[in-house]
Amino acid sequence: MTLVELRHVRFRYAGSDSYALNDVSLSAERGEFILLVGPSGCGKSTLLRVLNGLVPHFYEGEFEGEAKVAGLNVRSTPTHVLARHVGMVFQDPENQLFLSSVEREIAFGLENLGLSRLEVRRRVREVLKEFNLESIKEKAPYELSGGQQQKVAIASVMALEPEILALDEPTANLDPLSALEVLTLVNRLVREKGVLAFVVEHRLELALRFATRMIVMLNGRVAADGGPREVLLKAGKVVGYPPVMLAHVLLKRKGLVGDGVPLTCEELAEEVIAKWALRYS
Amino acid sequence: MSKVLDIFRFRRKRTLLHELDPRAKFAMLVALSAASLALSDGVSLAALLVVEVVLLAVAKSLREWARSLTGLSTLLILIFALNYLTLPTDRLFTATAMTLRFLCLTTAFSIFFLTTTADELAAALEASGVPREYSMMFTMSLRFVPSLARDMQTVTDALRSRGLELEKGSLSERLRNYTYLLVPLIVFELKRSLMVAEALEARGFGAVKKVEPYIELTFKGKDYVVVITSFLALLAVAWVILSGTYSTFVAWLRGVFPKV
Amino acid sequence: MGVAILVEDVHFSYEGVPALRGVSLTIRTGEVLAIMGENGAGKTTLVKHFVGLLKPERGRVLVFGIDTRDASVAQLARRVGLVFQNPDHQLFAESVEGEVLFTLRNMGYPSDKARAICDSILKLFELDRYKNRSPYSLSIGERKRLAIAAVVSYNPDVLVLDEPTAGQDFFNKSKISKLIFKLKMQGKGVVIVTHDVEFAAQVADRVVLMAEGRVIREGGAKDVLTDAEALRRARLMLPQIPATAAILEAEGVSLPSKPLLPGTLYLELLELLDHRWSEYE
Repeated sequence: MTLVELRHVRFRYAGSDSYALNDVSLSAERGEFILLVGPSGCGKSTLLRVLNGLVPHFYEGEFEGEAKVAGLNVRSTPTHVLARHVGMVFQDPENQLFLSSVEREIAFGLENLGLSRLEVRRRVREVLKEFNLESIKEKAPYELSGGQQQKVAIASVMALEPEILALDEPTANLDPLSALEVLTLVNRLVREKGVLAFVVEHRLELALRFATRMIVMLNGRVAADGGPREVLLKAGKVVGYPPVMLAHVLLKRKGLVGDGVPLTCEELAEEVIAKWALRYS
Repeated sequence: MSKVLDIFRFRRKRTLLHELDPRAKFAMLVALSAASLALSDGVSLAALLVVEVVLLAVAKSLREWARSLTGLSTLLILIFALNYLTLPTDRLFTATAMTLRFLCLTTAFSIFFLTTTADELAAALEASGVPREYSMMFTMSLRFVPSLARDMQTVTDALRSRGLELEKGSLSERLRNYTYLLVPLIVFELKRSLMVAEALEARGFGAVKKVEPYIELTFKGKDYVVVITSFLALLAVAWVILSGTYSTFVAWLRGVFPKV
Repeated sequence: MGVAILVEDVHFSYEGVPALRGVSLTIRTGEVLAIMGENGAGKTTLVKHFVGLLKPERGRVLVFGIDTRDASVAQLARRVGLVFQNPDHQLFAESVEGEVLFTLRNMGYPSDKARAICDSILKLFELDRYKNRSPYSLSIGERKRLAIAAVVSYNPDVLVLDEPTAGQDFFNKSKISKLIFKLKMQGKGVVIVTHDVEFAAQVADRVVLMAEGRVIREGGAKDVLTDAEALRRARLMLPQIPATAAILEAEGVSLPSKPLLPGTLYLELLELLDHRWSEYE
């Protein structure tokens, strides 16, 4: 089922001369891990905020075009309704974890929806178990590492059981291992629960291994949209090629590798070995 | 500066005070504050301070309080000096009393804040009928106090690394230099509030008017004890003052220390 | 290339919690040093010692021969420029131009000279068209460039950049790495505090790995960034090229030496496969 449907969406923030989104059309379904990239100012953060209605409800401006999320019209649906379908995780853990324990944090969104205390408690128990947070359930967010904080943030929005997860540079402040853990968690949710994930990320080397689709934005438009390999070939100049791709380009010129487009170290290594059948034990 | 703010930061511990219902602690705070304001002599206030220190000991928070005293010391000295130097009579008497009063007040508040989490406070406010938006506003501000302190430190560091000598120069120069802190700090905190607002929206805040809070605040035996004791203490203070007993006591004290 | 900063067995704690436990290292001019490790390893604490914002509890820090305990921050800052991670913490003026002039004034430059330097610096950083705009109207990448520009403007001998690539897009990362090369060519010392292993692989000459307040490995970038064990202890990941080389190694393809960058991997593979590149068509 098409979870997200954007048709010719244009948006200009109040008081701004230029369009942050300038005729964006795309559709997305369950079980996709969409990597959303582009230079700063290209509109990717704005696009994410259309998904949960922050644009145009929280950020005023001129909104044109059609935006449907989980069958709901974004323009006429309040953000708290959309929050049940789109979980948004932000870059800075400090500004999205408000309460004094992990347990309370997970309960917060459920409380807000007006669920009974009994129901909230039940769901919190489930979420703590599912995300392996039982051992730290009493800890305050500031006592956790950056990676753990982001995991709690993800668990807290997933408690509302949204079909879509929107992450705005979730690993920007994290070290590489924590970043990998967070992205792995998102990937698990996509694969096991069919969540549709939109991930805005600059660190391609980490995120490419999980992406099923990549969208490059430039000046408020979609410049490329498709499988990560084709998109990188097309738009690599704008977003940067991961080192393995650069190595591949060099090696290909001398005929030392085949035509595949490696996104990870494993893929590059495989290309090298496969071409020359150098498998010795 | 951050040392002073430390006494208002919650520390997780398992003590009697930490486990009390926040409303009971609030009653205690009211009683202690009222006593601090009503009493006006060094001896009674010192006794009050002793009571508070005992409470801090029960809360195992003496170390945090002691650490903050170094930060507070400038203010304490200032209060003492101002009173001592400007009063025509009873200088030492009043100066000691005022300083102790300030200390009693801040300690009373720190007992409360050291043992109560921001969202226990929110739950207490909501249980008392305050609408959710307002209680959230209050607890958010508290919750971000340490962040604010950290940001202040970072901006100060950045200013100093740009060659601005914040410790040197005349008073007016130094004041002017400190104003450079304001712009980045204000912008930063405004941005932060925007981000927090977005995150709140994304968590469905405001979807429903009346919310059943996760934390269930129930009064237990010890909470009743604390509230009743606080109320009685408040009555005692009121009686002592209104009946004139207190002024008699103060006069007697003054007689004992005439030169002071 | 001379010694700029000497760190001798520095110990430091925050409120009784040790942050630096006996760190020693040398920073030289004409060299790019990357200080790396996970968040909380002590990297930022360490670099604050370079301008005297923090003074060691034990040990000492010598900046061009001066003990940091004997000098003020302003004096030390004249020779060591520190750019903090978040630009929003360090923009103090009403205009972009004013930001640079503010710094130059503090560093003792007379007005006319300051103006000339300001103009050329803004041009260099491609910020001259924003000259009269408020710093806060710029995009995040531009604000970061402005913060760096302001510090570079007064020509310190050593430039310290705290997480220069965090949250930056490809375009800005390239600009920053070009700037670092330029400064190195000018004979300056550059210190980058980062956990971006790919970026360090591109720009660093030497790398110091920190974990839990200690230096656990130090050496040339090529040696340290290909040392999987040391990187693991520092909670970092191997950059893509050494990771690929490691996989190839495990499969029996042994490269003559450990490559760090795509070009080196390419040359190593060429050598291995006995194709001298001059003979190949």
